[in-house]
Amino acid sequence: MLISAFKRLSLLVCSALLATSVQAVTVQDSKGPFSLDYEPKRIVVLEFSFADALASVGVVPVGIADDKDKNRVLPAVRDVIGDWQSVGTRSQPSLEVIASLNPDLIIADISRHEAVYDDLQKIAPTLILPSRRETYQDNLKAAAIIGKVVGKDTQMTERLAQHQQFMDAMAAKLPAKASVQFGVARADALFLHTDDSYAGGVIQALGMQTPASDRDDSAYRQTSLEQLLAINPEYIVVGNYVHPSIVDQWQNEPLWSLLQAVSHQRIFQVDPNVWSRCRGVMAAEHMATDLARIFAKS
Amino acid sequence: MNAQRFFPLAIVLLIALSLANLLFGAVSLSLPEVWQGLFLGSEQHFTVYEYRLPRIFLAMLVGAGLALSGALVQGVIRNPLASPDVLGVSHGAGLAAVFYMTYFSGASTDWLPEVALAGGILAALVLWYLCGVHSSAIKLAITGVALAAFWASCIDFLMLTKPLEINNALLWLTGSLWGRGWPQLQALLPWFVLTPIALGLSKYLNLLDLGDDCATSLGISPQLLRLLSLAIAVALTAACVSICGPIGFLGLVAPHLTRKLVGGRHQALLPATMLTGACLLLAADLAARTLDPPIELPAGILTAIIGAPYFLWLLLRMK
Repeated sequence: MLISAFKRLSLLVCSALLATSVQAVTVQDSKGPFSLDYEPKRIVVLEFSFADALASVGVVPVGIADDKDKNRVLPAVRDVIGDWQSVGTRSQPSLEVIASLNPDLIIADISRHEAVYDDLQKIAPTLILPSRRETYQDNLKAAAIIGKVVGKDTQMTERLAQHQQFMDAMAAKLPAKASVQFGVARADALFLHTDDSYAGGVIQALGMQTPASDRDDSAYRQTSLEQLLAINPEYIVVGNYVHPSIVDQWQNEPLWSLLQAVSHQRIFQVDPNVWSRCRGVMAAEHMATDLARIFAKS
Repeated sequence: MNAQRFFPLAIVLLIALSLANLLFGAVSLSLPEVWQGLFLGSEQHFTVYEYRLPRIFLAMLVGAGLALSGALVQGVIRNPLASPDVLGVSHGAGLAAVFYMTYFSGASTDWLPEVALAGGILAALVLWYLCGVHSSAIKLAITGVALAAFWASCIDFLMLTKPLEINNALLWLTGSLWGRGWPQLQALLPWFVLTPIALGLSKYLNLLDLGDDCATSLGISPQLLRLLSLAIAVALTAACVSICGPIGFLGLVAPHLTRKLVGGRHQALLPATMLTGACLLLAADLAARTLDPPIELPAGILTAIIGAPYFLWLLLRMK
């Protein structure tokens, strides 16, 4: 009698446990397995790429680390999200503002926020994924993980498939295998985004290539005019953070006219914020549209 | 101002600043909210207990530690413009940290304090090896400055060749209390067993002010005293810098300001300078958090904004 009651009880407990574990989502983030057994309603994101991922499945975060400048968030993402509370800079977000928002999920960047991971965990469950320095492929994987965690797995899978179609359609409009080099120009330096960078990955996803150079190193490389001439890309896409930038100054130099992109008038300007700071499905589509527009003109 | 009036005033200021640090920030709290926040279950528990409170203690300790090291170095080198930076400790720690961030970018940031600590102490050992035990104060200072410049140029070289890591490295190099909490406080606290030893040296440091010959004839060994004080200064600086990054000018300004207020007697100067340092860093961190919320500025920028003009003013007056 007692034993059978005990058996029944333990069965009940087991089934209850099973029920919750069916609801819980478990994914692998940069720190290992991450589980969540509810659908998060108040999400704080600490990088733009995460806001992009949420917006692409129609989820609205309550807080974004936007460097206190709402214009840094991709316009298309802003349209979906509407208004949000700024939680400070991406490099040092204000933990007290994050706590004051009572979030039930925080999405943080392993490269910027690993040092405060434990503190963030005390505020709310924290999903930590790569964002800064991530490649195009890394970003798609991160978006898929975010989709699972916020309970929008099917929508995200659909959205990613739709993104793939969009990129393929854009690629058809663009010259295959053309060598396109993107760089951001400051007042005193030009940084080229090579094929390991996010922008480089988008260019490759569109069936084009970033020019190879003899120097193997990082994704973002400071380049002089002479080094740029040695690479000599067919197309140059520049995002000027300021005017006059170093590229504006170079236009008076004799070497500048030797660049094939200059002699064929294949040098174009894009929004440096979108191309350099924003990453994500919607940002990549923005970049692809930029390129299609540029190539239609040239 | 004499020492009798300085200490009560400084302690009142310290308490007021701590209270202000608890109340104000990106989110301002009322006194009852702060009180409730100290206990588990309150809505403000994270902000008050996990975030602001440890940061206040940390600001006090780091401020006091850097200021004490500064006073010790100034006492030993007998030059009011000297500071722990002269020994190249913070630059050595900075170099180790930047090297770690650039070449082990995948590695966990948990090890950063240990790496920086090792770098700081290593830099001091190099200085000691180059100068030897019997060197004069001025040789020590000049070699230290040269070494510091060398470490600083190595940092620049690393950041120029690996521009990708610049952001994180620069952030660390300006010195900040952001994201530091109880674990860091726990790591730093043991180093402060050195403070009583330093305070115990006050009497002998006064004798050193009379010159090496006088000090020797009064029965102390200047070399040994110098070595001991510098070792304490190096250990404290390296420990503080390893946690918060090199917070600029604090080790220079705090002892100097205090010397003006309470005089050069080390019995009063050393504890007073610790209070000044703690107050300065608390004020800097309060400003860093409240100037433009929710943006958190690194506290090191604030101390540099106050410190650099003060240093220039000192230089001009010394002519």
